[in-house]
Amino acid sequence: MADNELILTNVTKRFGGLTAVDALSMKVSSGQIYGVIGPNGAGKTTVFNCITGIYKSEEGSVSWRGEEIRGMTPYQIVARGIVRTFQTIRLFSQMSVAENIMSGRHIKSSQGWWHGICPTPGSRRDEKENWMKVGELLEFFNLEEFAATPTMSLPYGHQRRVEMARALAVDPTLLILDEPAAGLNDNETAELVDTIFSIRQKGITVLLIEHDMELVMKVTDYLTVLNFGKKIAEGTPEEIQKNPLVIEAYLGSEDEDDE
Amino acid sequence: MKKLSIVSLLVFLLVMAILPHLLDPRWQTVAVTFLVFSVVALSQDIVLGKAGMFNMGQAMFFGMGAYVTAILNSHFGWPIMATIPVAIIAPVLVGIVLAAPIVHLRGDYLLVVTIGFNIVFVQVLINNLGGVTGGPNGIFGIDPLRLFGFELSSQVAIYYYAFAVLLLTLAIMINLDKSKVGRALHYLREDPLAAESIGINTRLYKIFAFGLGAGIAGLAGSVFATQYSAVSPEAFEFIQSVLFFSIVLVGGSSIPGVLIGVFVMFVLPEIFREFSTWRFFVFGFAMILTMILRPRGIWPATFGKIPKFLIKEPKNGG
Repeated sequence: MADNELILTNVTKRFGGLTAVDALSMKVSSGQIYGVIGPNGAGKTTVFNCITGIYKSEEGSVSWRGEEIRGMTPYQIVARGIVRTFQTIRLFSQMSVAENIMSGRHIKSSQGWWHGICPTPGSRRDEKENWMKVGELLEFFNLEEFAATPTMSLPYGHQRRVEMARALAVDPTLLILDEPAAGLNDNETAELVDTIFSIRQKGITVLLIEHDMELVMKVTDYLTVLNFGKKIAEGTPEEIQKNPLVIEAYLGSEDEDDE
Repeated sequence: MKKLSIVSLLVFLLVMAILPHLLDPRWQTVAVTFLVFSVVALSQDIVLGKAGMFNMGQAMFFGMGAYVTAILNSHFGWPIMATIPVAIIAPVLVGIVLAAPIVHLRGDYLLVVTIGFNIVFVQVLINNLGGVTGGPNGIFGIDPLRLFGFELSSQVAIYYYAFAVLLLTLAIMINLDKSKVGRALHYLREDPLAAESIGINTRLYKIFAFGLGAGIAGLAGSVFATQYSAVSPEAFEFIQSVLFFSIVLVGGSSIPGVLIGVFVMFVLPEIFREFSTWRFFVFGFAMILTMILRPRGIWPATFGKIPKFLIKEPKNGG
């Protein structure tokens, strides 16, 4: 338990003949804000799906706190403190904001299945405590006035905040954000930067995919760059910005015309 | 809105509590049928409405409860009271065993499998498996329920027995909505992948929904067997499952919606009995129109049942 480290070793995921992730190794240390970047179709989301148990990688190992989590189901991985958001927001759209956040309290709740049929004073107390926690998150994400609003009627930026609130309700150790800034305006992106920093303040490690380079360079401590499923570079944001391979992957080779 | 539903629920319960004294014996029988079928429809609502699983075999669990009571009473001489726990537990166990390998199937595939179960079940009854089901004629002469030395054989007594079962079912439905498991069912219906990714073991809760629905339907079946003091296979045919399925969808998978649905499907046909088979023509069209005009049902289920302290007015008004 000492080190909340996520270590990927030679993770390979194939879809038929296509190798979406090719022998990827990376290490996310406790307390980091770690970024995964790369052009479209580089396999970034596939990596996240392999970590969170949605896919099982064919080869390699995914180790979390020294435990092999490759092959576990998503809910087992959540129970070990890893929780994610989705690139295309996936909320329970007919349900209210508060109920959506409450879903994150599911694994923290002490209620058994029989409490659904016959409640006890203990289960009522547990219910109350979890709703209090939801109240705190509504406040943290400035969503209090929308508590009873169905999420499908909220603007996109608010929906992103609800999804992050839901993930934080799990009290995760590692929070995985899949393009958290996609579809946000400049103000909302600025707020997101503050939110990510304050999540780290709580002692939560953050792993994110993002296309907004300005945001990535501002918040991350360390980066891995993927192209065609392979790692082409890793390092601090400053190192990555200077790396010729990365520039080539993003902009194409500049030498082609000259030679 | 919330006040309105509490008031209407209380009015409904009050009317139901005095109803048998206002009716003649024929309508008392219809009223008992309404209560029993409401319980089955609510049990179907747990599986279909809450958890979103296309289960087209709820009549099987209903029939299983009825036959457990009938067989244990008429072949083994158990008092009716003693058969009730078995009439609940047997369908629960069968529900769990049958559901476990099939709950991962997508909607339409699950539908076909559950239809298959229902057909097999009825064939087992008709072919008199083990010599205890009575074949196509079923089982006659089931004892009345005896409670504290009283024999509940009048229609009024059976009415109150069925009413108590409905109250119990309603209490479970309301408790479920305020609990972790009840919410888990809603989450997995809305988005199974998101539910799984937030820590919910969707498979476990799907099986739970099947088991709970089966148990409640089994209890209703036991009441049904006591009401007619007879059971026969045709009451649990696949077409009955279709009706329960439709009731939940047409009603909108809320408690009032399901009760309205049962009223429309099982009570109105009795009222319009003189129109004979033409009434089903009308009901068919009513179902079609409801689904076109109100795709989410007559009385759609609403969400946002959250504690009051979380609901805050918008800050500084403007």
